[in-house]
Amino acid sequence: MAETSTLSPGEIMLKVENVSLRFGGVKAITDVSFDIQKGEIRAIIGPNGAGKTSMLNVINGFYHPQDGTITYKGATRAKMKPYVAASQGIARTFQNVALFKGMSTLDNIMVGRTLKMKSNFFWQVFRHGPAMTEEIAHRRHVEEIIDFLEIEHIRKVPVGKLPYGLQKRVELGRALAMEPELLLLDEPMAGMNLEEKEDMCRFILDVKEQYGTTIALIEHDMGVVMDLSDRVVVLEYGRKIADGTPDEVKANQAVIDAYLGVAH
Amino acid sequence: MDRDASAVLDTFPKWLAHQARSRPERPGMRHKDLGIWTEWSWADVARNVRAYALGLMAHGLQRGDKVAIIGNNRPKLYWSMMAAQSVGAIPVPVYADSVAEEMAYVLEHAEVKFACVQDQEQVDKILSVSDRLQNLAFVFYDEPRGLRAYDHARLQAIGEVIAQGEALILADPEANRRLDAEIARGNGDDISVILYTSGTTGRSKGVMLSAGRCIAAARDTVAFDGITDRDNVLAYLPLAWVGDHYLNYAQALIAGFCINCPESPETAVEDRREVGNTYAFAPPRVFEGMLTRIMIRMEDASWLKRKLFHYYMGVAKKWGEKILDGKPVPALARLNYAIGHLLVYGPLKNVMGLTTVRVGYTAGEAIGPELFSFFRSIGLNLKQLYGQTEAFLFVTCQKDDGVRADCVGPATPNVEIRIADDGEVLYKSPGQFVGYFKDPDKTAETMTPDGFVKTGDAGFFEKDGQLRIIDRAKDVGRLRSGALFSPKYIENKLKFFPNIREAVAFGQGEDFVTCFLNIDITAVGNWAERNNVSYGSYQELAGHPQVYDILAGHVAEVNRQLAEEPLMANAQIHRFLILHKELDADDGELTRTQKVRRGFIADRYGALVTALYDGSKEANISTEVTFEDGRKGVIAARVKVMDAKVVPPVALPQAAE
Amino acid sequence: MLYNVLIDPFVQMAGAPDLFVQTIWEGLVAGVLYALIALGFVLIFKASGVFNFAQGMMVVFAALTLVGLHEKGVPAWAALLLTLGVMAILAIAVERVVLRPLVNQPDIILFMATFGLTFIIIGLGEFIFGGEPKQMIAEELGLPQGTMRFDVLGGKVLIQKIDVAAAVIASLMIAALALFFQYTRIGRALRAVADSHKAALSVGISLNQIWVIVWFAAGIVALITGIMWGARSDVSFALQVIALKALPVLILGGFTSIPGAIVGGLIIGIGEKLAEFYWGPLVGGGIENWVAFVIALIFLMVRPQGLFGDKIIERI
Repeated sequence: MAETSTLSPGEIMLKVENVSLRFGGVKAITDVSFDIQKGEIRAIIGPNGAGKTSMLNVINGFYHPQDGTITYKGATRAKMKPYVAASQGIARTFQNVALFKGMSTLDNIMVGRTLKMKSNFFWQVFRHGPAMTEEIAHRRHVEEIIDFLEIEHIRKVPVGKLPYGLQKRVELGRALAMEPELLLLDEPMAGMNLEEKEDMCRFILDVKEQYGTTIALIEHDMGVVMDLSDRVVVLEYGRKIADGTPDEVKANQAVIDAYLGVAH
Repeated sequence: MDRDASAVLDTFPKWLAHQARSRPERPGMRHKDLGIWTEWSWADVARNVRAYALGLMAHGLQRGDKVAIIGNNRPKLYWSMMAAQSVGAIPVPVYADSVAEEMAYVLEHAEVKFACVQDQEQVDKILSVSDRLQNLAFVFYDEPRGLRAYDHARLQAIGEVIAQGEALILADPEANRRLDAEIARGNGDDISVILYTSGTTGRSKGVMLSAGRCIAAARDTVAFDGITDRDNVLAYLPLAWVGDHYLNYAQALIAGFCINCPESPETAVEDRREVGNTYAFAPPRVFEGMLTRIMIRMEDASWLKRKLFHYYMGVAKKWGEKILDGKPVPALARLNYAIGHLLVYGPLKNVMGLTTVRVGYTAGEAIGPELFSFFRSIGLNLKQLYGQTEAFLFVTCQKDDGVRADCVGPATPNVEIRIADDGEVLYKSPGQFVGYFKDPDKTAETMTPDGFVKTGDAGFFEKDGQLRIIDRAKDVGRLRSGALFSPKYIENKLKFFPNIREAVAFGQGEDFVTCFLNIDITAVGNWAERNNVSYGSYQELAGHPQVYDILAGHVAEVNRQLAEEPLMANAQIHRFLILHKELDADDGELTRTQKVRRGFIADRYGALVTALYDGSKEANISTEVTFEDGRKGVIAARVKVMDAKVVPPVALPQAAE
Repeated sequence: MLYNVLIDPFVQMAGAPDLFVQTIWEGLVAGVLYALIALGFVLIFKASGVFNFAQGMMVVFAALTLVGLHEKGVPAWAALLLTLGVMAILAIAVERVVLRPLVNQPDIILFMATFGLTFIIIGLGEFIFGGEPKQMIAEELGLPQGTMRFDVLGGKVLIQKIDVAAAVIASLMIAALALFFQYTRIGRALRAVADSHKAALSVGISLNQIWVIVWFAAGIVALITGIMWGARSDVSFALQVIALKALPVLILGGFTSIPGAIVGGLIIGIGEKLAEFYWGPLVGGGIENWVAFVIALIFLMVRPQGLFGDKIIERI
């Protein structure tokens, strides 16, 4: 399990320095630096193709940047594997929902507990002794998340059958089950109706309040971003063009140009 | 229960003490929390309620104060009612899904001093209107989530109040005695609860019910249906509705059975199955929803399953109700029905959580005969009742062997019914209300000089003594030609089609009848999926030409049925349209109990009503809508109007006059 | 002719019910073994998307190792445990040498890799244990020997005790696997990986670890299959042809479904024995070897996703 963070609110949890990422000749991210402070909600915004999702993939180890460094909880990382990122307390959700579609809501969230479960293969095989006690304890934790996200009614439904808005909620639940210190949310409200968006906003704020989780999120709905986030970093064509509080960013000329430039 | 003791059991707190004494170990309440059923015995319930009541007294609650109860069915909210009543205060349950504005009206009108609510959502609503609530001293909540950062000067968790009460009992030996004295001071003439009726017209009214009358009424029906402490209910009806307060709260306290609170409103079906409820109430639309879901699943089922289902539904249709009513049935048919039960009816009932139901009631709206028969034919003892808040629910109800779809049964024991000259149903019942809170004029208006209550419904008695309700008395109207026109009668016929969720008929003083329709998104959406009809929104599906054609077929069928009824034959639907949005209680178009508010709708969609009568093919409409958080938005649409096929009246053409 | 095809076989079945029961039993036992092989395929296919051509060879290899070790003087039970160890080493080696370097390569490359793996295992097996057929050490392992006779419907049915043991052991193993998949952390992780690699990675599941586990599980299944099949005939490289029978079973049951593998195996097993016994004489016998593929082919046309496979839906 990840050692509990000794950071106090406001300290820098994650620092991205001069990161560049290329796929062949295509530059996804160019020389981007920013940081995420413990306990804040940090939004990453920008027009389509700005490199926002690539940035999240770099942070949780799906992609390895060619240049630059990432410092997480004081340790500067070289090449990071998703497994290591997860075990150090980084959880995430995906833009297009990546769930285990054949499994129930309950099982999906239980899978989020994988790293927290310790009993060895032997007990697992016999499903007895320590494995059983552990299973019960973790089930309780998962039930609290189900209660938190108000998804009791879909506990046993295979998630593939759920409407999109609920799938997004289950995915958040699975990430929460990891008891993350840093939660990466890739467009948590994409494709939701107004009511679902409001619910999701409430859940995100509650997560921050109740668990003190640090959250980095990508979102297109500017209203949501401005309401939720403490600080915003703006990317365009893989470069950082602005960084600051929502109000500062809103007033920034480069940001206005970027958004007007792609306005449809 | 022994007669001597019951003589003084004239308030609910006394009944609670009685249950805790006579069946302390029996389960009194259950709640599914974190996936597990938590149980409280009657002794546990009484202990918690006593501590709670003392905690409330410590906060300054006094006899006669009003306490608002807002939220889903939760043990702590039921305890809030019991605790308030123990002190002699009056609980005022409020619909949990009311928007802040509606809630403010009730809380202000009822002059509530405390509010016991479920969660942050309700706390937020109250705080948003707290400047209007002069009397409100404290808000207590059940779930602490999201409330940590709130100012707790006038806000506290219910759990803490109970803990305070427990501490008081330990610290002060007199505390228990003080509470006993308060409970003993209560008597049958006390106002036990104020239930605000959602009101099909205008502002809601606070119906005051007295403890003694509530108990008298509940005792009658407990005896009527043979309810015991072995029964089980799942409490999922709104707390503010008379149905919940009667069927769950009052009857549980009298009979000593267990109130099971579901995990969340959405899990009701599964929870019902788990607790094995034996006594169930559901409004027709809930049964309709169940049937629709089953039919949809059957469409997707394998060939064999579909065949089996349809074959055995045929068997059930033929014999099911006869078997249920204990009529003679050939042995072979009985055997076949038993096989059907094994293969089809049993599993179906299980899926719907109805396996163990011994007595089932429906009321609130007319139920479609097909729908009603479906559930009875698979062996559910479903009956109808007719009642209203002012009666503390029951006015009539059907006996086990006297069930029919088009009537609501004879008068409930000790209820007197009279039909006024204009056809209005009047009654005098053991549970009838004391009056409307702070509204003696309305009270006087509703009562006849000799103490009968006016229901506002028009009806008549059938030959077998069962009451048949036609419509709201003031809604029974006439067309310009003088032909009888009952909008509700027509609307109900339309709503029996699964594709039609809501209907609103117009025609008073006009040349012909027209109507608005709402499609049922589940049923029509499923149809669209099966027929590769793509749609992006409710509005788009509602305006689809093929959907119009389907509904035109339904309207024509209703016209055909009307043509066969001499009284109604001239009130056929000539033109209709499908509304671009679902009628919604949040927009004031439905009452909180989901009844259409016809007048309001006619005003709001005036342009559309005009279009129905002036012969136009299309009409523009833009309406303001309210979102859940109280924000407003505008929906604009162009709605098509369609002519319906009218059928010449069967038999005698000049039937109307 | 039509009479011979459509009616006569059923007349025979009804005329000699004891023979019919005997045939069904034979088919059932064969079916159980087919199901086991298919199960090995399904496990690996679900978790890694690899169609493991080497599964049949793993069966032979496991059986050979067991018998070979015993021949070298290792006691039967110790040999069994050692063989399990060898299967574990094989799983680790496959993950290290084959799967890890080829990650994110097209499926066909991975398939070809397992093809190569087959020949490596054959070579390895021949090199260590020699190429001649061997006798399975069923007795030493404590498996029951001999036959039982039952009076059935006026006739006698002969049942090999080893077959009963095979059916029982196979059922137990399948039940254990099902429980393991459904209710344990690792089982859940296995299902998760089968569903979405990306999501499994994000919650900290290590794909490498999972691959080792499924290949090991497939190895255990292979060992049990090898023992049972070897006990009925010889342990030789010829055994690997039965792996081909797994293909029709998988087509019938669906490549991703464990219940499908079981039901498919039973259908094929019983189907081919019935066909051989009652319809075989019409064409001079020997149809046992190909009738399974005919059944599969017909099924492929009617229900391409198999009995229990994930439904293939293409939405517009």
